[in-house]
Parts: sequence; structure tokens; C-alpha cells
Amino acid sequence: MADDEVDVAIVGSGFAGALIANELAKQGKRVVILEAGAGIPTDINEYMNRFYKAAAKVPESPYTPTLFDKDGQFSSEINNPSKVPAGRPTVMTLGPSDWADPRKSYLVQNKTNDGKPATPFASTYDRVAGGTSHWLGTSLRFVPNDFKMKSVYKTLMDWPIGYDDLNTWYGKAEAELGVSADIEDQKYLGIYFPADYPRYPMPRIPETLTDRAVRNALKNLNPADTAFLGMSQPPTEIPVRGVPAARNSQPYKNRRACAGNTNCIPICPIQAKYDPTITLNDALNHKSVTMMRHTVAREIILDGDRRRVTEIKYTRYTTGPRQETVEGSIKAKIFVIAANAIETPRLLLMSRNEGRTPNGVANSSGMVGRHLMDHPYLVAWGSLPNSAKPLYPYRGPLITSGIEDLCDGPFRNERGAFRVDIGNEGWNFVVAGGAVGADPDVTTIDFVNGVNRSGLNRDGNTGAGLFGKGLTGKLNEIITRQFRVGFLVEQSPDPDNRVTLSDHTDGLGLPRPKIAYSLSPYTKRGLVVAKQLQELLFQKMGATDFTTVTPDDPTRFEAQINGRPVPLNYIGAGHIMGTYRMGVTAQDSVVDSFQRSHDHDNLYLVGSGTFTTGATANPTLTIAALALRTADRIAKRV
Amino acid sequence: MSKSTHREPVQAAQSAVEDDHASGLTRRTVLAGVAATTAVVTVGVDTPAVAQRANPDSDMETFEQLSEALTGIARKKLAPDTDSIGIKHDYFKWINEREPAAFVSLLKIAKDNANSSQAMIEKLQATDDTKFLARSIVLMWYLGSWYAPGDLKKLVDSRSAPKPVFIPHTVISPKAYAQGWVWRVAQAHPMGYSDMQFGYWNREPAPLDDFIIRTKVRGT
Repeated sequence: MADDEVDVAIVGSGFAGALIANELAKQGKRVVILEAGAGIPTDINEYMNRFYKAAAKVPESPYTPTLFDKDGQFSSEINNPSKVPAGRPTVMTLGPSDWADPRKSYLVQNKTNDGKPATPFASTYDRVAGGTSHWLGTSLRFVPNDFKMKSVYKTLMDWPIGYDDLNTWYGKAEAELGVSADIEDQKYLGIYFPADYPRYPMPRIPETLTDRAVRNALKNLNPADTAFLGMSQPPTEIPVRGVPAARNSQPYKNRRACAGNTNCIPICPIQAKYDPTITLNDALNHKSVTMMRHTVAREIILDGDRRRVTEIKYTRYTTGPRQETVEGSIKAKIFVIAANAIETPRLLLMSRNEGRTPNGVANSSGMVGRHLMDHPYLVAWGSLPNSAKPLYPYRGPLITSGIEDLCDGPFRNERGAFRVDIGNEGWNFVVAGGAVGADPDVTTIDFVNGVNRSGLNRDGNTGAGLFGKGLTGKLNEIITRQFRVGFLVEQSPDPDNRVTLSDHTDGLGLPRPKIAYSLSPYTKRGLVVAKQLQELLFQKMGATDFTTVTPDDPTRFEAQINGRPVPLNYIGAGHIMGTYRMGVTAQDSVVDSFQRSHDHDNLYLVGSGTFTTGATANPTLTIAALALRTADRIAKRV
Repeated sequence: MSKSTHREPVQAAQSAVEDDHASGLTRRTVLAGVAATTAVVTVGVDTPAVAQRANPDSDMETFEQLSEALTGIARKKLAPDTDSIGIKHDYFKWINEREPAAFVSLLKIAKDNANSSQAMIEKLQATDDTKFLARSIVLMWYLGSWYAPGDLKKLVDSRSAPKPVFIPHTVISPKAYAQGWVWRVAQAHPMGYSDMQFGYWNREPAPLDDFIIRTKVRGT
């Protein structure tokens, strides 16, 4: 395809990029996608085998560029971020001694920024066809007040768009991704559905025994015990609802129903969970769509009066023993940058047009790269006594139910809201803070060797291990009573939480993203209240709390709860948001509600980087709804 | 990254190959090292070196008995009569290549105490080399991963330290991961490898014995 034949060039093939490409393809538009990483593998066995063999089954473990050597061990040589052509952050380099070391970590982070203490930005992503396919599948809508924090709660900022504008697009996104949920169960805090939308595409995913135990624990609450939540009325019951998920509860679009592999993150072995390669394949089945893999966009070029984008310059690279690169450029009528909330601002900031745009493209507001957000994720893990009925974790999808009813209320004028995930994977990723491995390995090793890294073998820390029936009985009794919960906290958009360009480069010689990040008092107060709810929940469940925060955890901070000092920490939710936010004017935002640059008429910046505020819902469904709305607008223009 | 085309004969020294590559040692010195290790093992023994390795044909039955006693999982579950997966062969070979001497001792204890798993377990715990290898074997069956006996000893020795030591492990193979028994001990399935059906998680699982003891009924 000759360059001048292209209607739309899209950088990135993840959720937003794939959806837009496919919508445009359906209307016969000519589209080229630039993908920085590898293409779609012929089948997912390559991904599965890499996952099975990996000694550390982190979210990025199945995907490329591989983190591991042939023995499945993480290799800092393979992952040298100054050598990998299109690198990415990984959980493997978030440890206390790695996160601020640019020789190890792709993201360049410092322990202080301008003299202020910084903490790790702890989320990761992938750079491969289909983008961050290691998502969980959670497909929540925002609640209406999420879009109007300023007008309702006099804090943060309003979006230039509201729930009413997105309602039908949410429905279309749910159809494309294939969302399973019960519509009545999802009507809370003002969420409503159009009259012509009687049900979700599929029935809800059944709940687990852990979900049921949490629900029962929160059925009868004393208002005095829930006043700390700051709701308009202290709740006497906190409902547990099914989590809408892009996970088949029956065959849908030629994909199977979920078989409960308990592996949504990092990869569903049967693709019962939607991932963007599905839509991307649909798009690529159209003759008018092509994808260039291993192609890294390096600069957005503007015309003479800097109103329009004329082309995007890229570098293609080969993989293998000898790395070769080729430079090129792509011309199109309209350009879409769908490279996530770190790589998109990076590209914008790299686009200096020989000094004509010293602050980068689309950046007259100076807001590009600012207001980086995540959902700081507070996790806690516990165990039920042997007298209680087992919960039987490690069965079913990773998450099937959650608490959504606490994510909006008058408290939002002073602290971040949160929603709650109920885990079905025991202590898999939480035990010992992940510092010494995952479960069930850690617990098993403890009882086989008579040690106590899990905390569960306090009486058996003698070096004398168990064998035979003693071992099976003990492990069964203990593992079947493990559970964990997680709290996704709304993070305020802070201008100093920021993506800029670092002096460190990647394997193509391009500057790597530099991150400055910390939690505001507003956000931290949300984490503190989340911790209080966790303590109440464990008490009502009769559970023993095994949560630990290690002294050297760089995300650690101390809070006072009822006069006691309590150490808290957070992990990344993988929800990278806010760095080219949408708003009404170019004074304080980068794009409009159609995700079009205020500065450049034919440039669209999509994905959760446009989120004005972060809310509490996992961002993907809103990314998808906004992408479909943008695709509709673009299709009318070319 | 360079790749050796002749991995098989030096597998026992695989990690040494990786390390030595950096320190400039040649593969020849590594092979010599393996020979030297074998020689040390055979000192003072009147049989040829080859007899100091377990024999996968004649010792497999003992290995199965040993594994049953160590893991608490029925032998017919670990190694079914119609064994299309045959993970026991992989495990036997893996141990034999890494811990030949202790493996021979362990199999001898198992054979001598074939009638009493209790006696077997008491005996094998009498010396560190058999005790920690026995634990490595349990973890192998449970997790599909290799935790070296020496590393487990380090873990035990440092159990009262304020910060737990890190011990490495290797997933033996994708197949081994999917055959891990700890998941069945929890009446579940390996994460990412389930043969159960939609909705099973909404109900209590089948009894534990269906997963690890009884061969007729398939655990669901």
C-alpha cells in the first residue's frame, strides 16, 4: 500500500488502537497500524509455554520481548533496558534495589524529584500486538459522578463529557468485548442503561465460595462500625456484586465459555477472556488494514503552520542475533496515537520538529505527561480458622465479585474513593509481599521444610518438615482457607506526577520515559479508609490477618488508624491514566471529548491517557467506549 | 546470545555452564569438572562409576514407592498404569543427573523399607543428603519445580533470620508445571491448566481423596 493511500495511521494495536482500526475497516477505510512489538503469534501455545516455564509468573511473563532465558529464569542481560529496542516495565524490576536503577528498570525513576521524595510507579504494560492482553477482564462502567468531581464535590476536575454521552458507547463496547453481567446487579450509584439495552451480552459469571463468605460477613453491620466510610448514611449492609467481565459465560463470537483456569492475568489459555488480538485479527481480515510490526513511531511531523500532522517517522528493527534498523515515515489524513499513557506522551514529547515544537506536539497546554494516575492497590490477605468451612480458592476466574457501592459519596470531597476486588487465587501473588515467591509454592515449601515464610507455620518453624499424609492433610486444611482482597483507590490527578524524557535511552537510541510519582494526601486518605474497611471485613469473617508490609518496601508509608500506627503500602493496578487529559479548553487539557488534540486538527490521542480523573472502575471499558466514539467521529471525517 | 548445541551430556552442570561462560571457563573444563565429581563419589567403592547412578529401568518401581510415601499421593495417581504423560521418567532423569549419589542412597532406603513408609521416612531423615533430596522430590511432584537440596538446607539453616533468604528454583518443564500436585491437594487445578467445566467454582469440589487417592473417580 502506498503511503498516500492511507486514510488513518494508528500507532499502537492495544485496546483503543485495535478497536478503532476495526471500526474504520468495517467502513472501508484504509488503515495502517504501527506496532512497536512483535505481531500476533499463530497460536497462543508460544505464550502458554513461556508462562508455564517461567520461574516468576509475573503479568508480563507470557509475552515478548521475553523476560526469561531458556531455563525460565529472569535475565537482566536479556532485559538490559538500554539494549532492548522496544522495552517495557516489568514487575521483575520493581524491587527495592531495582525500581530506581535505570540499568535495570525500563522506566527511569528516582527516589526524589526536585527534592521531594518519590515512590515507585508500580504498574507495567506490554508492547506487543494486542497491547496489554494481561488485563483481568473487568469491564465496569463509571458511575455518573465520576465525570463531575468538580461540580459535585468541589475538587479535582470535571470531564468534558458525562455518563449520558457514553451510555450507548458503553453498550457497544460491551458487545464488542463480550461482557458477562446481570443488568439489575449493575444498577448502583446512578448507573442506568438505555431502554433498548435490556441485558448484557451474556449472563453473569457465577460467584465463588469466597465471594459468598465476604457477602455474608457484610450483611449485618452496626452503623457505628461503618461511620468511618463517610457515606451519607452509615451502611448496615455492604452489597457484594458480580463484577462485569469480558469473559465468556457462554460461547460468544466463536470463543469458548470460561473453564475457570484461574489465570486471567497473565493469560487465559482458551481465550474465554477477551483480549485485543481478537479485534485486531478482525481488523486485519479486512484488505484495507495492514499492520507493521517491530515498528516504533519516533516523531510526529507537523506542517508549516503547525496545525496539522503530515507524517509520522518510524524505525523498524529486526530481532535476532543481528539487530538491523530501517527508517521510514507514514503519511495519512488522520493520525491516532494509541500507545498508552506512558508511551503516548513519550512520543509527543520526542516530536520536536527540529525545534519548531520544543515542548513536543499537542502540548500548547503544557499538560502532556502530567497528571499520571494509577489505582494504588492495597492488598490484604487472610485465612479462616480450621473450624470454618473452606473457601476453596484457586478455582474459577481470578475475580468474580467485588464491592462497588462505596465508590461514590460525600467523602469524595476529602479522600479518594475505592472499589474492592475479592480474589479467587488464594495467596498466589500476595504472600510475603511477593518478595520471596508466589503461593502455593511458599506455603508448600514451608511445611515440607519446617520453616515459616508464609506466617502459617508458626508452630512448625523447627526445620522438621512433613511428608506423606501429614503433608497432604495440612496443606489441604490451610490452602483451602486462604483468601485475599484488594482495594483500588482513586488517585487525584497531580501535575507533578509526570512522564518526561530521560537521558537514558533504549535499544534504538530513543530517550526512555522518566517518571516522577508519589501519592497525594487525598489519595493516601483513601488508602487509610480502605485499610479500615479491610480490618472490619476480616473481623466479621473471623479471619486472621497475615498481611505484611516489609520494612524496605519503597511504597510503604505509615498512617494512624484509631490512634495506632499502621504501615500501609500499595502495588500497581496496571491502570495507567491521565497524561494527556481531556477537557474543554487548551488551557488545562490536551484533547477534547472526542480525544482530538486541541492543537492539531487531524491528531487523535486515545486510551486512558485522556482520563480527566481516574475514578475507581478498571479503565478498559471506558477506554473502549471512548475509542468507539472516536472511531465514529473519524469515520465521518475521512 | 550463544547457544550450546550439545546440552544433554552436561545438563548436570547446566548452571555452571551459564556462570562459567561469563568467567571465561570453557565447556571442556566444565565436563572435566563433572568427571571429577563422579570420581569423588566413587572413591572407596569397588563398583564401576556407572553403578553409582540409579537405573531408570530397574529402579523406577522403587522411585514410585518412594514418591508415594513422600508425597502422600497414591502411586497410581503419580504414575498411572496408562501413563500418557510419563512425568516420572522426566523426574527420575532430572534427579539422576543432579544428585546421583544421594539418589542412590535414597532409593536404597526406599527398597530396604518397602513394607513401611513410616520406617522409610524415618531412615531417610537420618542424614542430610537424603533428607533434603527427599524434600526436593516432594516439591518436584507438588510444584513441578526443582528446588536444589543445598538451597533447602540453606533455607532451613536461616529460618530464624529476620529476613528470609531467597532460594532459586527452576520450573522443570511446562509439562511438569501442569502436573503439579499441590493444586490437587487443594482440590483445585494448576493456574492456567484446568480440565474443569464452566461454573464448577460455584460449588464445593469433590472430596480430597478423589483428587489424590482414588483412581476410579475423576476429580471435578
